[in-house]
Amino acid sequence: MRNSAIGLTIPLLVLLATGEASAHAFLDHAEPRVGNTVATAPREVTLWFTQKLEPAFSTITVTNSAGQRIDTGKARVSGSQMTIGLRPGGAGTYHVTWRVLSVDTHTTDGSFSFQVGK
Amino acid sequence: MFIRLIRAGLPGLAIALVPMGEGVAHEIVGNRFFPATLGIDDPGVNDELSFPTVSSFKTGDDPSFKQRDISGEFSKRITEAFAVSFGVTHSHFSAPGGPTGFGADGFQNLETTFKYRLFKDPLHEFVMSVGLSVEWGRTGAQSVGAEQFNVYTPTLYVGKGFGDLPDALSWIRPVAVTGQFGYAIPGRRSTTTFGVDPDTGDPTVDTEFNPRVLNWGGTVQYSMPYLKSAVYDLGLPDFINRFIPLVEATMQTPVSNTFTSGTMTTGTINPGFLWVGNTFQVGVEALIPINRQSGTNVGVIAQLHFYLDDIDPRGIGKPIFGPAVQPASPFPRN
Repeated sequence: MRNSAIGLTIPLLVLLATGEASAHAFLDHAEPRVGNTVATAPREVTLWFTQKLEPAFSTITVTNSAGQRIDTGKARVSGSQMTIGLRPGGAGTYHVTWRVLSVDTHTTDGSFSFQVGK
Repeated sequence: MFIRLIRAGLPGLAIALVPMGEGVAHEIVGNRFFPATLGIDDPGVNDELSFPTVSSFKTGDDPSFKQRDISGEFSKRITEAFAVSFGVTHSHFSAPGGPTGFGADGFQNLETTFKYRLFKDPLHEFVMSVGLSVEWGRTGAQSVGAEQFNVYTPTLYVGKGFGDLPDALSWIRPVAVTGQFGYAIPGRRSTTTFGVDPDTGDPTVDTEFNPRVLNWGGTVQYSMPYLKSAVYDLGLPDFINRFIPLVEATMQTPVSNTFTSGTMTTGTINPGFLWVGNTFQVGVEALIPINRQSGTNVGVIAQLHFYLDDIDPRGIGKPIFGPAVQPASPFPRN
């Protein structure tokens, strides 16, 4: 049994290492970085994902500490990267909510915050 | 699968009726990714394969003996919220284990689990599922303790992430807890064994009552992927950001028909970690028995687990009926 287990597991690992596995698109990192503080309000927020995205079904919204939406509404998608412009929103906590569709048809969503000027 | 270890360690006790399901499945609920855990099943439903799960443990028998298990489990979604899984375990008993005292080898009974996700609340990272596990009697080897009757275990699974805590407690947001509560019902109330007294030559009759067993456990997890993608990006190396340290507890408590088994709770506390990749995860945990009847030393369990929904999203990783609706979290699992 142990030998057969090894015999089955190794091909599976080889398949994963060499295959075209395409997984959910998860947030890899962001700029401004998740949870971090920046001195001045950024002009845009950029998210990098672990998979390529479908532009038509991928969105970001950004709100400031007053709960007002300050993104420009239309995200730019390039491969696995998505960027959205911001209007001036003042200091405080900015909240980013995203929802994306990866090229393998999996939908993912999430949210995080960062601080401005604190 | 681990529960199978306990079963072998307590021959004649109620533990013989505990289902042997190993942890499988993973689930995504809003920001929260619930990984597959080794000791108990996680609260979700998905397409996945756990293979192999290996463990080594010294049983609670007197005299104690070493048991090594290797097992696999395959789970397939029928619809987006309903899945069926199939599990098999091979056991090796070192001497003085087994009926002859010279050790034993063989398969445990096959197990099938039907699981349905009842409820999912992404905002509060809460998920709840129900399931029915069936251990099919007479499909395994009696020499390694496989029962000759079916065991049915209706089970409730729950999971809760703490991502909805206020900002003042943001460092606790990566914590999640899961729980499993099953009630193992044997298909036969008692087992009668006929034999001959070696001293007198007289016939003997031995009746063992097969108790109903509460099969319960839980996990406490701290998700580094969650910390990075939803709370605070510390700029740690990617390798570190994929760890999920956790502690599991798996317990078995006989609750009725306990005339010959007693009602002592047995089980283990399992500290360890998971490492989450893009299409697979690996996990390693210690098995710390809670009392002498649960084992005589610290064992170990390890698992390789594949996310079939990510490996082949348009094929075997897709529900047979309906769309693969799977809102997910921002965790960088690759």
